[in-house]
Amino acid sequence: MSGRIGRRTVAALDSLSAVLNAHAPLMSGSDDSPGDLPSIPPNDASDEPTRADIRRIVASSSLGRQLRAARAKKLREQAEPVPARPTRRARRAAGALPDVAALQARIDGLYAERGWRVFDFQRTVWAHLQQGRSGLLHAGTGSGKTLAVWLGALLRAAAQPAPGLRVLWITPMRALAADTALTLGESARVFGLDWDVGLRTGDTGSAERARQTKALPQALVTTPESLTLMLSHDAAREQLGGLCAVVVDEWHELIANKRGVQAQLALARLRQWNPALPVWGLSATLGNPDHAMQVLCGPGGARVAGEIVRPVKLDSLIPARTERFPWAGHLGVKLLDAVLTELDASPSTLLFTNTRSQAELWYQALLAARPDWAGLIALHHGSLSRDVREWVEAGLKNGTLRAVVCTSSLDLGVDFLPVERVLQLGSPKGVARLMQRAGRSGHAPGRTPHATCVPGHGLELIDSAAARRAVAAGRIEPRYSPEAPVDVLVQHLVTLALAGGFDADALKSEIRTTHAYRALDDRTWDWAMDFVTRGGASLAAYPDYRKVERDADGRHRVPRADIARRHRMQIGTITADSAVEVRWARGGKSGGKSGGKSRGKSAGQNGGQSVPASGAAALAGGRLGQVEEPFIGRLKPGDCFLFAGRVLELVAVRDMQALVRAGNAARGTVPRWDGGRMPLSNELAHEIRTLIALAARGDYPEPEMQALRPLLDLQRGWSALPDSGDLLIEVMQSREGHHAFFFPFAGRPVHAGLATLLAGRISRNRPITFSLSFNDYGFELMSAAPVDWSQEIADGLLSGDTLDADIEHCLNAAQLARRRFREVARVAGLTFQGYPGQGKSARQLQVSSDLLFDVFSRHDPDNLLLQQARQEAQREELDAERIAGTLASMRAARHCITRPPSMTPFAFPLLVARLRERLSSEQLSDRVARMVALLEKAAGP
Amino acid sequence: MLQIDIAGESLTLLAERALWWPAQSTLLIADAHFGKGLTFRARGVAVPSGTSDDTMDRLAALLERTGAARVVFLGDLLHAREARQPALMATLAGLRAPGVEWVLVRGNHDVHAGVPAELGLTVVDEPWLMAPFALCHHPDARPGHYVLAGHVHPALRVEAGGDRLRLPCFVFGPDVGLLPAFGSFTGHMSLEPAAGVRCFVAAADRVLEVPHASARRRGRA
Repeated sequence: MSGRIGRRTVAALDSLSAVLNAHAPLMSGSDDSPGDLPSIPPNDASDEPTRADIRRIVASSSLGRQLRAARAKKLREQAEPVPARPTRRARRAAGALPDVAALQARIDGLYAERGWRVFDFQRTVWAHLQQGRSGLLHAGTGSGKTLAVWLGALLRAAAQPAPGLRVLWITPMRALAADTALTLGESARVFGLDWDVGLRTGDTGSAERARQTKALPQALVTTPESLTLMLSHDAAREQLGGLCAVVVDEWHELIANKRGVQAQLALARLRQWNPALPVWGLSATLGNPDHAMQVLCGPGGARVAGEIVRPVKLDSLIPARTERFPWAGHLGVKLLDAVLTELDASPSTLLFTNTRSQAELWYQALLAARPDWAGLIALHHGSLSRDVREWVEAGLKNGTLRAVVCTSSLDLGVDFLPVERVLQLGSPKGVARLMQRAGRSGHAPGRTPHATCVPGHGLELIDSAAARRAVAAGRIEPRYSPEAPVDVLVQHLVTLALAGGFDADALKSEIRTTHAYRALDDRTWDWAMDFVTRGGASLAAYPDYRKVERDADGRHRVPRADIARRHRMQIGTITADSAVEVRWARGGKSGGKSGGKSRGKSAGQNGGQSVPASGAAALAGGRLGQVEEPFIGRLKPGDCFLFAGRVLELVAVRDMQALVRAGNAARGTVPRWDGGRMPLSNELAHEIRTLIALAARGDYPEPEMQALRPLLDLQRGWSALPDSGDLLIEVMQSREGHHAFFFPFAGRPVHAGLATLLAGRISRNRPITFSLSFNDYGFELMSAAPVDWSQEIADGLLSGDTLDADIEHCLNAAQLARRRFREVARVAGLTFQGYPGQGKSARQLQVSSDLLFDVFSRHDPDNLLLQQARQEAQREELDAERIAGTLASMRAARHCITRPPSMTPFAFPLLVARLRERLSSEQLSDRVARMVALLEKAAGP
Repeated sequence: MLQIDIAGESLTLLAERALWWPAQSTLLIADAHFGKGLTFRARGVAVPSGTSDDTMDRLAALLERTGAARVVFLGDLLHAREARQPALMATLAGLRAPGVEWVLVRGNHDVHAGVPAELGLTVVDEPWLMAPFALCHHPDARPGHYVLAGHVHPALRVEAGGDRLRLPCFVFGPDVGLLPAFGSFTGHMSLEPAAGVRCFVAAADRVLEVPHASARRRGRA
């Protein structure tokens, strides 16, 4: 390191590294570091931050700040000593609420006294809640949604006094739960209510859970998974039966996924116990708020719109010179200098990326460019450990961090008042997402949210122009609830069988009250019941199967404790990809701290073959975070990768832990997480198509399009710019093979489907293997043999006939369903994540979903879980409806087949970001023989 | 089928994922994991039956075709204790023709599952020496012998000409050789081929040698 770095910087670096290396002792000499860096919880078994930590973290959230000021003022005015808070038990016993009129008076009085305005939508929500009506409140961030619903719930609780748990607050993000609990507790106290607001998430320690089992707080903040877990216990009804209101926060994050379905099912159970239970959803702006309300509240719900419309400024960082082939520039880090200039101009900036790997890259790049910012910039993504994330969030709230590189992990949550600016690195990919992210900035009085898109490559400039136009036109993506997923259903059946058992008919009616399962047919229901009781519909197929059994009293229960235990562990993993913990390697002489200097023997090498690293001598040390198992699976011991803002070398993998030590910076590779592959939304794709059509006619309406003229001119010169009625097809040959690029501009999922479909249709008639690649703008089909595309089109390549069958055929062939089956199998309890210290018996149940997919396809092809995987692939990977639509417009379009002299600007990204799906009609052994022949040839004599 | 010479002996690699040693009329089978689906079902994971039948059918066909006088299972014959279900055990025992010797080299799963006496197996601990080979479950080198082992369930990612596949494989290093897992319901572990190691993939009805410059492009520094 250079000697120019001051002592303060070194101290800050030390503190940062101590945070990242959370379980290492704090370094001495950091006593002159900025005083507001939080100390790190000691290395004890529980990861719980102390109450004081949480308090400090929340202390500077916008609501928290207002409330604190209010309370301080009140105290000053009264000049009375602060009364000691009664003990928890005393408060619970008291459960004291004034009557509803008194509370309403108190609220009105306090609002008047502070000079706060009560918004009409807040009054509306209060009134609805007092009448016991459910509803959805949707508004942008920072508009007072939380307080509206929380005070409404308190008013309702005051109107119906009762002991025990009264208000349940469901939040999608575990990381937000602690903040939310404190904020709710604080704001209740402002109104003179000494409510105990508890926390129940996957992070809640067993001691706290045990305390809650004895006496629940009056309000509980939880996640859908933890709520479902509570429902799996006998005591659930006793604990949750006395609720007077349920709030589902950030409902837009849940509605469209299986966690949302899990929430729907849990709510159905709560309503079963208490039919009048009002449920309120909070949601950001959505394209279809009525559907969102229906799904959550059922018939008779109210939809309330927050009235504050905040202006948002959206623009792009346009490079001084738009290169025509900027593709080789890695992930837009090329614009680093321009980004640094922007960061200099703003005291606090959030830099959003679409993937965690991009976040790691940008963080490294920023730090390399400005070493003096060490300790002032930070990294935040979902794979990092909680300590790190909390430290970053605290730094954002108190304004000590000038920039944070983050992923969707910071899309949600309490507002960071000091953040003035948002930079979106790479395409925003969606209208709602860009609005949400922009909304994270400009919360200070007199400020406006301001988001700037930083294109990762030239074409992404079109994306940001298109996003701005869509926002202006109010075209925001809708989100729909999944329809009757069988995997969630069977999981729920086992969950309720654990909770004292269930009566099949009663449960069927209960489940049909949810939106997702409103049309659940008897066949599916019977199948699901068969699945959990007998393994499947066919008695012969599943001999000796045991999971749920029908008791003599007719109730369905889980007879075995090990099955119960595994199921409860499973509930929390509904969405998580199997994750591997990243930990420092300890033991031997190669400790984490001294890593890089003393290298232990490379583990697990035997005769040139890597065999399971059973002999690895390293012990697990401090935790750094989590990465998906497939990523670690691609690494060998000794490989280096970027994670948590540093270069790490893999030492060994075992028991779902990746042991690492400090690596050599020169050898770092960037992790490629699959999770971050966001598709372009339809709304945005539509705008992009429009902008390109305008360019084809010589109209460049936005500054981004102006800047892109050189690129667009080159595209026009070598090939063409498609007008709205055109389908552009580029055909060319390279050393790799024969390429055909199609550009329907319909978004990635549709292109994936179309590519698969067209490849399937051609390969049905003759043996040919295609490599497919697709992105948001188009797709590529590459083959070893040439294809006469005009002839194929004339012969019906784009035909709408037999489309359904073809899609089905191609699905099987391309194995998209196999990929969906991973999640389906996990949710349905067929595969489960290993966990450290698992016993032998659990290890004997480890199986890959791939293998299960083969076994089911062969031995139980009618299994509904397989069907569900196929349907999900159709709907979510392929989007069959939109494929049909796009295919029809491709058919009707003027076919513009060009033979460019070289890769065009449109084609190049497809080449660079190739993701291959193989579709082949050749015999497996022929394929292998051909590959072997090629390899022999390449290897030479 | 493919003939290769290992340690001076001619061995036949079978596409059914087994190894045939004609000179000794011996069939080598690793990691059959009989009763794995059954174990899953018994512990509440609904895996359909049929996988063991599948494995059983292939074993029967191989015994018939080779007319082997001796079968050596290189460990993990049964998946777990639950696999010792009478019907399954009877079918397996029924495959053994009179006069044919069946040997099980005990693997990690066999230790937990136990081996029922009615199978009439000679159960031994590794290494089971049949010069020049040491027949083992775990692939640890045994000086003085060439080790043939299982346990790893090796697979190879083959990539060429824009095509890519992952296939179970045989692997022969300087002093240790690995057999693919025989069972139909078994996972695989992808290996990185290294210099001095020959890899043979089992692809449907053929066995093919894959040159080691093959597979994955990464790894080339």
